[in-house]
Amino acid sequence: MAGPQSTRLVKTALRCYPARWRRRHGDEATELAALLIRDGIPAASIAMSYLAGATREWLTPRLGQRRSLSAVACALLVSACSVWLLASTVPARAASTSQPPSTSQPHCRPARPAPVPDVASAPPNEQLIIREAWHDRPC
Amino acid sequence: MAVSRRDSVAGQDVLRRVGEASVLILISLADGPKHGYALIQDIKELADVELGPGTLYGALDRLERLGLIEPLPAEDRRHPYRMTAPGAAALRVHLDSLERVSAAGRLRLQLGGV
Repeated sequence: MAGPQSTRLVKTALRCYPARWRRRHGDEATELAALLIRDGIPAASIAMSYLAGATREWLTPRLGQRRSLSAVACALLVSACSVWLLASTVPARAASTSQPPSTSQPHCRPARPAPVPDVASAPPNEQLIIREAWHDRPC
Repeated sequence: MAVSRRDSVAGQDVLRRVGEASVLILISLADGPKHGYALIQDIKELADVELGPGTLYGALDRLERLGLIEPLPAEDRRHPYRMTAPGAAALRVHLDSLERVSAAGRLRLQLGGV
């Protein structure tokens, strides 16, 4: 990955940390990332590590401080960013994943719906069986 | 919640639940202060473990909260850390505990004859 792109990726990850953390470690963390990239560690891996750290940082309650709703929301946002980052860095691997040829039926193949009896009058267990009847095999 | 030296000396293994990264950081700091990059390099050489930078800062913050390490004045943008006296005591207790478990494991392997 090119230099400016790597730096941007890492800086984006670092922005996910709380401001208090960035004030304290931000500059050093940026420099550390640059050194690690120079050593050949992929920027995406460093960014992922920082995103995981940011999630932990948001979810770890400080002394005398309760975990607020916004902190949890930020942590969820950071997690979503991590998933997006992971997905965007490994599209080729995901695309090349191929299933071996198989003669067996797929696990969840939709089938024609069976005639549905009067669901409202059926006891709870029967309702469950009726839902599963939409598939050839139960999932 | 800092750990006092007396607690560590009393034999309570406070490092049992802090995770491998924190223990490796303390071991790395045992021979002198280091900053983040030096810690990552040293731990890779010492234990063949590649600490991610996010893991490193999380562990450093945790150890500092426990009073087992302390930051030194910044050099340029780098913050070196050094181990405190309670940190050294806690590390001794933890290593003793690991040695006991290790010795027991080796003995059982011998007795089992596997």
